[in-house]
Formats: sequence, structure tokens, C-alpha cells
Amino acid sequence: MNTFEFLLQGLVIAAQPMNLLYALIGVTLGTAVGVLPGIGPALTVALLLPVTYQLDPAGSLIMFAGIYYGGMYGGSTTSILLNTPGESASIVTALEGNKMARAGRGGPALATAAIGSFVAGLIATLGLAFIAPFIVKVALVFGPREYFALMVLAFVTVSSAFGDSTLRGLTSLFVGLALAMVGIDQLSGQARLSFGIPDLLDGVEVTTLAVAMFAIGESLYIAAQGDRGPDRIEAVKGSVWMSAADWARSWKPWLRGTAIGFPIGAMPAGGAEIGTFLSYATEKRLTKHPEEFGNGAIEGVAGPEAANNASAAGTLVPLLTLGLPTTATAAIMLAGFQQYGLQPGPLLFATNPQLVWGLIASLLIANLMLLVLNLPLIGLWVKLLSIPKPWLYAGILLFATLGTIGANPSVFELGMLLAFGLLGYAMRVFGYPIAPVVVGLILGPLAEQQLRRALAISQGDLTTLVASPVAVVLLLIAAAALIVPLILRARGRGQVLSQLAASED
Amino acid sequence: MTNGSKPVHVKRRPDGAALVIAAVLAVIAGVMFWDVSRLAGAAGYSQVGPTTVPYVIAICLLGLAVWTVFEAWRGDFPEREHQQLGPIFWIVAGLVAQMLLLKIAGFSIATGLLFAFTAAAFGQRKLWKTIPIGIVFAFVVWVIFSKLLQLSLPAGPLEHLFF
Amino acid sequence: MKQFFLASILAGALALPAFAADYKIIAPANPGGGWDQTARTLQTVMQSEGISGNVQVVNVPGAGGTIGLAQFASQDKGNPNSLIVGGYVMVGAILTNKSPVTLKDVTPIARLTGEYEAIVVPASSPFQTFGDLVEALKKDPGAVSWAGGSAGGTDHIAVGLIAKEAGVDPKKINYIAYSGGGEALAAILGAQVSAGISGYGEFESQVKAGTLRLLAVSSDERIEGVDAPTIKESGLDVVVENWRMVAAAPGLTDEQKAAVSADIEKLVKSAAWQEQLKTKGWQDTYLAGAAFDEQLAKDVSATEGILKEIGLVE
Repeated sequence: MNTFEFLLQGLVIAAQPMNLLYALIGVTLGTAVGVLPGIGPALTVALLLPVTYQLDPAGSLIMFAGIYYGGMYGGSTTSILLNTPGESASIVTALEGNKMARAGRGGPALATAAIGSFVAGLIATLGLAFIAPFIVKVALVFGPREYFALMVLAFVTVSSAFGDSTLRGLTSLFVGLALAMVGIDQLSGQARLSFGIPDLLDGVEVTTLAVAMFAIGESLYIAAQGDRGPDRIEAVKGSVWMSAADWARSWKPWLRGTAIGFPIGAMPAGGAEIGTFLSYATEKRLTKHPEEFGNGAIEGVAGPEAANNASAAGTLVPLLTLGLPTTATAAIMLAGFQQYGLQPGPLLFATNPQLVWGLIASLLIANLMLLVLNLPLIGLWVKLLSIPKPWLYAGILLFATLGTIGANPSVFELGMLLAFGLLGYAMRVFGYPIAPVVVGLILGPLAEQQLRRALAISQGDLTTLVASPVAVVLLLIAAAALIVPLILRARGRGQVLSQLAASED
Repeated sequence: MTNGSKPVHVKRRPDGAALVIAAVLAVIAGVMFWDVSRLAGAAGYSQVGPTTVPYVIAICLLGLAVWTVFEAWRGDFPEREHQQLGPIFWIVAGLVAQMLLLKIAGFSIATGLLFAFTAAAFGQRKLWKTIPIGIVFAFVVWVIFSKLLQLSLPAGPLEHLFF
Repeated sequence: MKQFFLASILAGALALPAFAADYKIIAPANPGGGWDQTARTLQTVMQSEGISGNVQVVNVPGAGGTIGLAQFASQDKGNPNSLIVGGYVMVGAILTNKSPVTLKDVTPIARLTGEYEAIVVPASSPFQTFGDLVEALKKDPGAVSWAGGSAGGTDHIAVGLIAKEAGVDPKKINYIAYSGGGEALAAILGAQVSAGISGYGEFESQVKAGTLRLLAVSSDERIEGVDAPTIKESGLDVVVENWRMVAAAPGLTDEQKAAVSADIEKLVKSAAWQEQLKTKGWQDTYLAGAAFDEQLAKDVSATEGILKEIGLVE
């Protein structure tokens, strides 16, 4: 049998009504748990994996795929509606998505996220099926110096989330970088900035910081405005569905987000967040509506959401072709596969084609089910916003703390949640952007570790950083991204841009 | 809720609050210098050791502090709307109550209080009504996530009453 | 039939509350890692074998398990129904993190599984044998970069022991720490480093596919079905086993401890547990009672010695 026949056979099995139902149950459960702020796909899959054990192999594989995609997608809904990212890969979604929801365009934002996730999931899963061996070769070329160059590029693009003041953007970023230093230094095993407190040895959890700064900081800020502003947010202005203009502005970002997210997800040290940052920056550079960025640009939701889902499928590339679990989620999936007698590794495609293609077919079906489940629900989700403020925010804080408690029931963690919530509030009051703090926390350790690894391997030879073509190209792109806007600004266009950016609230 | 709160423009010259921010940044930098200076700089074969990056970040923070002072002096900080402190206290009290009661009273009671206090922050001050609502809601959430979805959420007397 | 499956899930989920919480297992790590998987496997088998009606797994991640250990020792003191999963990595982490709570503060019950370290090089590497690698290490320790797990972990300790036995200052090794096994494996496959070290299971499929060359394993004798010499055979007296164990709370009476030990013994002897070991590729290294206590004490003192020489512990 060739590739197509295997895939077709897998699809036929997966499309049986009972299996479709399992996919739907999986997607629903995955979304239900994944929607909790602070509970990412890793914990979602770990919690729900035992549920799948009770089914026959085909059914359980399908339900499992559904849980995985549901967990990945769940985070975006809260990001858009409540400005509370469910996990680190949907932080960027909150930037534009929540602004859209505030403006009564939550429906189109959720729709472009759902359809973008579907499109990206579809393309990336097909990519997994047909070009995985090629992608994985590229991913293995990435050593510490190439990753360091990628991080430099990511840092440069972060500036697109800075808002109107370079000073305040940089300050936010460096606060995040300072927080990133807390904990055991991975390369030397020494504790930094932990002050002898054991709970700090593992550093600041990204989800704790994100939930605190976004959900709690936001609630405090809204509360402190008192009775100014409307008691309810107008949930729907115009259509709840995407307009023709929305479609026209979404499809390119979906494809670009997929193209960025898939390869980065496939890289062993890539991670879904970096793809979303790069996608957001790309869309901001390419958009025809720069004035909308910061006020709810649909491209800023479509691109990162596609990138996020594409990288979820990308993670499966090294997992299935090399047996490399590159994220916590992948490590749990590996455990799940073993239940089905699947031993991921270089020989998997040769020794176990039925199961592999069954899994890929399941992923395609689960992806479709996600869309089936979520599109009709959008109208319902958007209604959440018309709940009166006292109950809405009481609910937000309940679920925000539920996620943190469920992931790590520790009083200290809740204390950090409160402290960072207050920090997020203060930063809002003084006009500091929030996203760069979280970005600094994520990118800081990656950049530092990769730099130090590169230098250790070369025994201190600095030229190693530019001794590979991939690294050089990435550094050149970073330099261009830094310099080109400066030139544009010098030519006068920048003034318009910064004026428009200043109109952000 | 205190009525008649109008946005008060607190633009001063120089901006006192911005100076405080600069001081906080400088203090963070100072703490980083102090902490990192105690580390053994075992860099191994890389000249960038565990202390290098913290030093760089601390220096940059100092630089940003100076820049902040400069902007504060020129009054370049954005205007701020008047903030009401009452609601802040309600929410913080709710989070503290949840944090302290979680292990003793269990998820439902602790989180129910957070729910009620947050509602109070937004003007729903009838605690005799909101606390029971919050506890019942939190209990339903506890049952769904802890029992059906196997998430480990602390149980207290209320949860043990039923399970 | 299919409807039956569906019904059984829902029924199973709804029926769970009917049992009392018999055991709580602390997995002092994030979901996905070895300890989490061990805890969740214990959970599955305990429930299927009827040793316990309801087992809850609680993740208390952080600092090589020492956070979970500290919380367990204080909050579960005297509770005969709570267990913690741990392992050799904890021994090192307690020392490097200067943890106030040690394994002496809990009641170790039994060693459950274990895995030996494997030393591999990419297929394109000039090193054909373990001897070649050791020769290069002796000549210029900095030129041999080792990819492995976190600083001060089992992999790092093993490299330190190899260097020491080979007459090289353990402080001089060029050890590159990676967070997850996956990332280290990618670095080895991409030939970013000279050699890699980790549990054998991590490398097994790559070795079979011929993309990695297995130079040596850290066991006492050759492992059945694994085509590689031991480190001992090359004249370096290094045996390292990364074991996982289960411990009970401190302050138990002798009867309580005996009851927990009996439950664990029943679990280990069960067919379901053996089946799980097989699917997961874990070695059965069950060791309990005084023999385990003795082994533990030996490991702790040896680990302390080598960590001092590497320079991670003062």
C-alpha cells in the first residue's frame, strides 16, 4: 500500500459514525479543560488520557486526537473574550482578539480563530503526512547557535507589541527578562534570585504570570474604574459572523501563520509561542490597516491562531519521525502512544504504518470536529460578554484561580498570582504594555541558554555564532527588521505610524 | 459605590509616580547585582557564565531607570485616570481569603468567597446573597472538574459532606 | 457494543465518587515526566487490581522533586494513605538545592523500576568505541562536549564519574545540560555535540535505526538484548542506575508501614504491573525493606562525593 491508500483507509475507519462521536467527545472534553486559564494542552491531555484507555484502539486514538486539538484550541476562546490567555501560545491572540471583542466583534474574532486553526491544522497535518522526513532534517540542522539567532530575531520582532512608547515597552520587556532569571540556572545548576525560597527554584511559571497579568490585572483595572463605562459590554455589533471583508483579510494571515508555525513547531527547541510572536509581527508589518493594530485587527488574530495550531501539528513531526518529545504535551502523547503499542522512532512509519496513518487520519477528523463544535458555539460564547460585570468578573477570577490551583495546588503559587496581578494592574495604570513581560519571560532563558551552549561547545570561540549559514541568514533578517522601520521613520512615514499607534488606549 | 467620581488629571511636573517607578527599577537592578555577586561564576568553557546575563539585564534596568527619571522630569508620562481604591481592596481581599482558606476550608468555600468579594468590587455588595451563590457555583465547578475530569482540587468539609 | 463503551466511560466517571479516596500519590514533577508517568501507572494498576478504589495523582512540580518532597514531609506527616514517587535524581537535587528536607524525612518503601545510562555518539562520529571517546577526553576534556539532562542530574553525575575514573578532573568536563530528553537527543542527532548520555530507553529506537552508535552502558553486567559493552569492561569502574521509587509519609507506625509495603508488593507482583513495565520499557528492579535502605544510603554518600568533585556542591 502506498501513502495515499494508508491515509484513505485511516480516514474510512475514522469516519465511522461511532468514531466521529468519539472525536466529538474528545474535542468537547479537551476544550472544556483546555479553556481554563493556566491549564495548557499538556495537563489537559494528561488528565484525560485515562478516559481513552477504555475504548478500542481506533476509537481511543481518535478521542485522543480530539482531546489534543481541543486542548490546543480551548485557550484562544478565553483569550479573545476575557483577555485571559488559557496558555502561553494564545497570549498574542489576546492582544487584538480582546480589542475586537470589546468592540462587539468577538464573533468574527472567534470565527477567524476557529477557521484559521482548522485551515492550519489541515495543512500542517497533511504536511506531517507527506513532508515530515524533510522537515525533520531541517529541524536537526538547528543547533544552539541557530536557535540563538532565531531568538535574536524573535526579540527584535517583540518590539511590534510595544505600543506607543519605546521606553515603556523596553521597561516591560526587561522586567520580564529579570523575572526570567529567577530559579535554578539550567546549565550550571546554581540558584539565581531565589533568596533561599524553595518555591522559586523552578522560576516563575509562564502560565501563572500570564493569567495573573492578564486576567487579574485586567479585573483590578476595570474594577478601579468604578461606575465609569457601560455596565455591560455590547456583545455583538454588526454580524456575529465574518463579513466578506473579514474573509478577505483573514485568509492570507492563515496561510502565513501556518507557514511560520509548522516548521518552528517541528524544531526541538522551537515551541508554539515563538511562532505566534513571529506571525503577529509579520502581520503587523504587512497589513494594509496598520491603524487597526492595537485596536482590534483581525489579521492579528488570524495569523497567530493559525501559527499556534500549525505548530501543534509540527510538534508531531519530530515525535513520529524521531521519537523526540519536544514539549511536555508531546511527552504525554508519547506515553499515550505506548498504550496503543506505538513506539515512536525512526522506524515507526515503516513498522507500524496502519497506526501512524490511523493517527494522522484521526487528527484530520478531530480537526474537523473542532470546527463543527466551535462554529455553532460562537454565538453562545459571545453572549458570555453580556453577563453583568459583577458576575462576569467574579466568574473570570474563579476560573483563573481554578486553573492555577488545578495545575499546582500551592498557596505560594496563589500568592504569586496576586502579586503579579497587582503588578499587571499598576502597569495598566501607567500605560505599560503587558505582553512584553510575558515574552521576556519566555524568550529570556531560551536565548541565554542557547548562547551559553553554543559558546561552551565551541570552547569560548565567539565566531561560532556566525559560522553557520542558517544563523547568518536569521541574524540578517533580524538586522533588517530593526533597521528598515528606522529608515521608513526617517522618511516621514513613521510619524503617521506613531501617531496612529498613540491612539491606542 | 462612591458616586460622582470624575477623572482627575494628575499631570504634574515632574511626575512623582514616574519617579517612584524609576526607583523601583533601580532597586530591582540593585537586588540583581547583590544576588548574582554571591554566585560562583563557574562559566565552564563558555565565557558567558551564569552571572553574565543577570549583570547585563541589571545594567539595562539601571539605564531604563535613568531614562524614566528623564521622561518624568519632562512630564512625558501619559495622563492617568483617577483610580478607585475600594474595588481593588475587595478583589485583593477575595484573593487573599481564597489563598488562606483553600487548604483548610476546601475549594468551594474559599473560591465562593473570592467570587462574592469580586462581585462586591463591581458593585454587587449583598454578601448574604452572593456568598451562598458563590459557594454553590464553586461547588458545582468542583464537582465537574474534580470528580468528572479528575483535576486535583483541594477538598474541605463541604466537599467531604457529599463525597 | 460501542454504545456500551461510551456508557462505561460515563458510568465509570460518575461511579468514581462512590469510593473513598484510598491513596493519594504525589508526583513531584510536571505531567509528562518519568515520575508523573510512574505515579499515573501506579494509579492505573492500583485501581485495576483493586488495591485501592480511588487513587488521586497530584503534581507538585519543582526543583528536582524537592518541593514535592518538602510539602509531602510536612503536610502528609502520619498519613498512611499518601505516597510520593521519587528517584535517584532527587538524591542529587537534595544536595545541589541544599534542600532542608531529605529522603531521611520520609519513609522509603521500595525501589520500583530502574534504567541504566547509555553513552551514544552520532553515526557520523569519529568515535567507534568507548575507548576512543575516553582517549579524546583524556587528551582535551574541553573538546569532548556531552549532551545530557539537567546540571547535577544522573547524566551529569555519570559523566563526572567517568572523567574521575579516567584520571580527568571532573571539573574540566564540558557538559551541556538540556531540559528535556528530546532536546538533548536532537542535539546529538544533529551532531551539535560530541557525545550524548541518558537513559537507554531514550536512545533505543535511534540505536536500532542506526542513526546513533551505542558505545557503552552503565550497568554492572551486559544488558540482555543490548549490543554494547559496559563501562566497567573498558576498565573504568562506573556503575550508575537511575532508579525510581515510592515512599510513604514520615511518622507512620510499624503496622502502617507494613500495610503500605504489602500493598506495593502486591502491586509489583501483579500481572497488570508487569504488563505496564513491558509496554513502557521499564526494568523491574523491585527492592524493598532493609536491602533498599542500605542501597539508598550507599547512593546518597557516593553522589555527594562526586557532586563535590564536579563542583556543584560545596
